[in-house]
Amino acid sequence: MTTPNRRDFLKAAAAAGLITTANPFERALLAMGRKPKGPQSIVCIYLRGGADWLNMIVPRDDKDYLTVRPTLAMTDEDGLVQLDRDWGLHPAFRSLEPFWKEKQLAPIVAVGSPHTTRSHFDAQDFMEFAAPGNRTVRSGWLNRYLEESQDEDATEFRAMAMQELLPRSLRGEFPVLAVPSGMDRKKGAQTLNRFEEFYGDGPVAGEMPGQMPGEMERPEEGAGIVESGRVTIETLRRYQDILAKGKTEVKYPNGRFAQRLAAMAKVLKAGEGLEVAGLDYGGWDDHANQGGVEGRHATRLKDLSDSLAAFCLDLGPQLDTTTIIVMTEFGRTVRENGNRGTDHGHGGGMFVLGGGVKGGKVYGDWQGLKDAQLYQGRDLQVTTDFRDVFHTVLDGTFDFKAPKGFFPDYKSKKISGMY
Amino acid sequence: MRDRAVHLLSRLSFGPSEAEVERVLARGEDDWLEEQLAPGEEADPRMKDALTNFQTLDMSTPRLYAWITEDYEGRRENELSAEERRKVQEKRRVPKGELIRATFLRSIFSSRQVESVLADFWRNHFNVSFTKGGAADFLITEYDREVVRRHALGSFPEMLMASAKHPAMLHYLDNHLSRTPPSKQELAEIERRERRRTDSREAGEQAAQIAAQRGLNENYARELLELHTLGVDNVYKQKDVIAVAEALTGWTFDGGREGTWNFRFRSEMHVKGDKRVLGRKIREDRDNGGVGEGEAIVEMLAEHKGTAEFIAMKLVRFLVSDQPPSSLVKDVASVYRKTDGSIPDMVRTVVKSEEFWAADTVRAKFRTPLEFLCAALRATDAEVREVNRCLAALRDMGQPILHCDDPTGYYDVAEAWLDPGVMATRWGFALDLATGKVKGVEIPVEFFDELPQDIPRLWQHHLTKRLLPGGAGQRTRNALSTVTDEYLEKARIPDSRELGPQLVGLLLGSPEFQQQ
Repeated sequence: MTTPNRRDFLKAAAAAGLITTANPFERALLAMGRKPKGPQSIVCIYLRGGADWLNMIVPRDDKDYLTVRPTLAMTDEDGLVQLDRDWGLHPAFRSLEPFWKEKQLAPIVAVGSPHTTRSHFDAQDFMEFAAPGNRTVRSGWLNRYLEESQDEDATEFRAMAMQELLPRSLRGEFPVLAVPSGMDRKKGAQTLNRFEEFYGDGPVAGEMPGQMPGEMERPEEGAGIVESGRVTIETLRRYQDILAKGKTEVKYPNGRFAQRLAAMAKVLKAGEGLEVAGLDYGGWDDHANQGGVEGRHATRLKDLSDSLAAFCLDLGPQLDTTTIIVMTEFGRTVRENGNRGTDHGHGGGMFVLGGGVKGGKVYGDWQGLKDAQLYQGRDLQVTTDFRDVFHTVLDGTFDFKAPKGFFPDYKSKKISGMY
Repeated sequence: MRDRAVHLLSRLSFGPSEAEVERVLARGEDDWLEEQLAPGEEADPRMKDALTNFQTLDMSTPRLYAWITEDYEGRRENELSAEERRKVQEKRRVPKGELIRATFLRSIFSSRQVESVLADFWRNHFNVSFTKGGAADFLITEYDREVVRRHALGSFPEMLMASAKHPAMLHYLDNHLSRTPPSKQELAEIERRERRRTDSREAGEQAAQIAAQRGLNENYARELLELHTLGVDNVYKQKDVIAVAEALTGWTFDGGREGTWNFRFRSEMHVKGDKRVLGRKIREDRDNGGVGEGEAIVEMLAEHKGTAEFIAMKLVRFLVSDQPPSSLVKDVASVYRKTDGSIPDMVRTVVKSEEFWAADTVRAKFRTPLEFLCAALRATDAEVREVNRCLAALRDMGQPILHCDDPTGYYDVAEAWLDPGVMATRWGFALDLATGKVKGVEIPVEFFDELPQDIPRLWQHHLTKRLLPGGAGQRTRNALSTVTDEYLEKARIPDSRELGPQLVGLLLGSPEFQQQ
């Protein structure tokens, strides 16, 4: 990335009110002096509920779009963020515009699963385990990456989810921290110390006191619980240290999603080895009263957009080595339903942002919105398998070549020109 | 015998307490179970006490709605002052708060433990959630009472039909909005009305255009098949989802200021014609305007073999093991079919099975956050005056009561709860509870005074027996010994009220206590 670009971009960002430092040039200098630290990383943002991408990456001047979405559609006059001749982003995405102009944002249209399920829970499983239709695979694609690329004696803190429970993409053999909420640092540290002997690495066997005659000897069971506890202690300590030292350099929105991104940014900027981070954003199942330019969907989009924009600015140069992927389990019906909402559909969309992706271009093949062009006459056709994106991003970010079987029953295909 | 009682209570109560173990031993397993499966109508005296000051739990929805709005009766919301509006909002939150607290208190204290445990199971199976907002605030009180708890030990088909017709479910999964596209006459009427209202031809046309887009909403129909009866992708296809959705159009409720808030079928919203579901023809119900089609489908689903298998699998997974033994699932499914979905008969079959008592079943289930919290409070005989801090802990552990956004309800398998990090919240709560730092919750001092005062080295063993009746592993015993040694080195006169709480905190946070 060249310097003038970054300066323009920071100016634009400052104008959008995203930088707190009064003087944008000061900010720009500050950012330029910094260098990305630590390894390359992927941040996986999951929109739970099946987000309506057709109203997020919008086909401009498409008559069919206006017909199928009489109350939900929006046009240039509504303030679409204009990407190119064919595409615009929902007006609520305005704060991401600088990243498009900076060629760091790559929207993908008509992406999704080769499996036809319209069940949230199957679709999420299939996607996050990257194994459509396969119910035996129970580990997440990002966890499998961690597992495959594991270095015997690495002690880094390689992965975490900024929420109480792990998203499925991070579940699996490789231990990943789910950051608990509601625990202040000092008390948290004391608690961890107390339980170290129960769950820590200490010796298990041996002639220790503590057994009474006749007291039931219990074999070591629940190995999974002990392991989970051990990882909790190890990684949470590390996390709390990083958080205490880190700084937040821009103003984030107030919501929970933004606050969690702010903590994540601290960990990434610390450069202590974080490679994979996950965060969910819930509530995208807009069956009724979804709204178009304004309304429930738009409110969520604005929060998503402003939070991500703040996160990217906070990362500063670290964004060059951080790839953010925004995804959901399926797209929604092309036609709006009777309740100014949309039902479960098929093809959707994705964002890939930062990390050296070749953005400023909309990826994916678009078939159109006429009845005959739709999947089963109602949904967007999937023309890009989500595994193509995962595959491309893993390679582009980590230079990781997925071994055979990493994506079960999948013929490897990359998205050309993305890196 | 004691081991058996402990195992029984680990699965069919919210955790063994000493008193409940004694009760099982005194009554015998069989009698205890039969009593629990048919608890009768009489109110539970302990719960009556605990819930004395609750106002809204027994109210019907219209009563509740009237209660919320009674102070500004006759006036519309936009005619209220800011202060009045704030008061209404405050009142509106009461039923939600009371129901959540009552649900938690029943889990801990109800003597009808099997009913409470099964209610938890069905509450998740037929999930509705306060996160939906809007009318959910005052619809769920009645739903939880009349659908979930009333049928928790009753008949599955009856519960299914009750859930299908309850406004809380119809609202949660948007079925009340699902309808046939409006007819030409209706559209003309809408246009006329809007034109008259706004005196603008354009506005009238626009309103009609918008109305013309109204139609089918598949949300409830899909979850009815996927989550409530057959299980995902079992037998049904997308065309079945649509046919079921069409048959259920018009299933809505009578809301609004004058509403009864009961189920109401609106034939003008109904999609006419025969339907075809799972290869079977559902004849158009002309006599009753169409409501019979949906009823026929719900009944057909309740009788379906796939439903029997799916419900049996979930029940066995919940009561026995995350990997439900297929032999037992088969048995329970056949009981379902023989007894028309009798829940007590299915539970009895599980409890009397070999699989339930197999060595590898004992302590094989990981406690969900709710089960962990309740078990901790029950095992320590804790007195609970206020539950807010406990509810906050549940939120921190990812399982706030009646707030599961997803129609799946909360999962009951370890995989969903065993993430590194979650343990830290449990440990924090365990230490806080034991050392009296959970506001409104107290372990009685007798719990510690009963320890043999002259032999402090025995305290850890007594407390282990009490809290981990299944025994403790070497690592845990070592850790407790270390704490005891450290304490005894420093203390001039050992005090069980000092060391006791430390040991209890560690025991509640031990790996063993996370299992049931």
